[in-house]
Amino acid sequence: MYSVELRGATKRYPGGGAEPVVALDDVDFAVEPGEFVAVVGPSGSGKSTLLNVLGLLDDPTEGWRLLNGTDVTELSVAERTAARKESIGFVFQDFHLLPTLTAVENVALPTAFDPGDERDRAADLLARFGLGDRLDHEPSELSGGQKQRVAIARALINEPAVLLADEPTGNLDTETGESILAEFERVKEEGVAVIAVTHDPLVEEFADRVVELRDGVLKGGIAGETDSADGSPSDRNATAALAPEER
Amino acid sequence: MSDGSSDGTASDDSSDGTASGRGVTGWLRGWRPAVSMASRNLRRNRVRTVLAVLGVCIGVLAVAALGIFGNVLALGADDAIGDIGTQVVVSPNADAGVESLSAADVAAIRRAVDDPAVGDPAVVPLYSDSAVVEGASSQTFATVYGVEEPGLAFEAAEGRLPDRHRQGAIVGAGVAEDLGVGAGDTVGIAGTQVRVVAVLAESQTFSPVAPDDAVFLPESAFSADGYAQALVVAESGETARAAADAIREDVNAREERVDLFELAAIVDEINEFFDLLSTFLLGLGAISLVVAGVSILNVMLMSTVERRQEIGVMRAVGVTRRDVLRVLLAEAGLIGAAGAAAGTLLTVLLVAGLVAATPAVDAALVIDPTNGYYLLLALGFGVGVGLVSGAYPAWKAANERPVEALRS
Repeated sequence: MYSVELRGATKRYPGGGAEPVVALDDVDFAVEPGEFVAVVGPSGSGKSTLLNVLGLLDDPTEGWRLLNGTDVTELSVAERTAARKESIGFVFQDFHLLPTLTAVENVALPTAFDPGDERDRAADLLARFGLGDRLDHEPSELSGGQKQRVAIARALINEPAVLLADEPTGNLDTETGESILAEFERVKEEGVAVIAVTHDPLVEEFADRVVELRDGVLKGGIAGETDSADGSPSDRNATAALAPEER
Repeated sequence: MSDGSSDGTASDDSSDGTASGRGVTGWLRGWRPAVSMASRNLRRNRVRTVLAVLGVCIGVLAVAALGIFGNVLALGADDAIGDIGTQVVVSPNADAGVESLSAADVAAIRRAVDDPAVGDPAVVPLYSDSAVVEGASSQTFATVYGVEEPGLAFEAAEGRLPDRHRQGAIVGAGVAEDLGVGAGDTVGIAGTQVRVVAVLAESQTFSPVAPDDAVFLPESAFSADGYAQALVVAESGETARAAADAIREDVNAREERVDLFELAAIVDEINEFFDLLSTFLLGLGAISLVVAGVSILNVMLMSTVERRQEIGVMRAVGVTRRDVLRVLLAEAGLIGAAGAAAGTLLTVLLVAGLVAATPAVDAALVIDPTNGYYLLLALGFGVGVGLVSGAYPAWKAANERPVEALRS
């Protein structure tokens, strides 16, 4: 079973003119637990849309979306929020930590409104990422690499199935970027599917698989289906059923 | 695939069930992190927060202070004119040919008001005449009343009012001052020297009897065959009105023998006026509170626009719309509560300062418990204005799609 899977996913935005903008064009994409996939492609190719659709921030116009084998194509707003919280971790280029919260509070943010206190677990996670001595620092007191580590810890607080990263090394120097990618390798070893959208060749080096998105069309979206990815839609169902066995 | 979707709904249903099962404690628990995050967000832009708090503070101050001023005015007026309404003056109805009140009329009046429901007021019949009253060195023109039981209607400032007035004169405060006489002196009334047994306390009430400018003699000094009027002295305005109604019903049943002069109706109108004044003052205050509400609205809109991405991140990592709404409402509520608390405190200080600086204001009127009501009202309004003005920006921010918010 894939951690996350898109089948024939199409995303159209109403454009300024008569023609809608096609951001994703019949995309088949699947990532297994413990796999690190890098999505590359030029700007405007639909990478962010792909990440938003995978991350349940946006819905595909057509096609299916599965999370751990469960159809999550059409959920209510509340259900989507709950599913994001439960199964998806986000890491952003700009880190997006809340400036008023300390490192440990930022990590615990997804659980902040829950009955239990997850701060101990958040502290453990930060310690794992080598920030055990920065627990009560605010983001403004942390370096870029430290902030991104806090963001990764936040993404992992609910033990997600999928970690989605949008240019995770975009604002970091090469050395720090490498250390962050090393963290991703540790994360995937715990069975989390890691998907990173990137321009950075360094990320491609660390990835198990690199897929390219160009004008909304994805090549090599499902491992072992590279031949059919740009093939006819008619045999898609057959390959989809076969895919798990092929691995 | 259909199996998968039904699993999804089933688990959602069960999580909803536990959420509602947590009840009030769960609801309260959700607010604690919200308030904590809200207070930190407010500390971020201190100047803006302080200005918004100041706005509410001034609004609350205006509502509370103007409300209390209006109330103190009304209480003060009530205090000053309160006794007016407690007297009913019964006089013969000259239009019906009744020239004076007979002993039978007085008895009828006594019977009419002899009822616990009316408060059993005292009935004091008065003979009336006028005469020149002479002191040692001056003289004045005064009303001369004949009264048997002056103690029921009047109070002495000097000397003692006899239970039964048998001899001597009781002098009103104004007359005593004009003539420079006190208890024990003698005054000349219509040529006869009479000893002053008592001087009345200055009258606090307005009454057609005008005791300040009168001299009271025993009934025996009069040879008239009827009383000029009868005073009905009640405990309160309410019982006075009841007494007047009872007299109208009983004594005037067959013919309109008596005229009634009661001030309770006037007191009612005066009270109505002060109620109107209080409402007007409160309305003035409310305008400033509305302005404060607009400033909170402005602050909250600005701050949610600035923090659009942050709110988007919260939503993306799984914070529900309801919890985002809570954080933002808590921010607006905290501004409102802080402003309201400060405004209430300032009002107390302001009123206390004014009382200290203005000897004319009776402190007892200011610590009247009804003023507390205006303080509470303003406090509640302050917090309410915060929540109401925070509601729209909070709702707007919480319902924005995270994908849009993150894009900016």
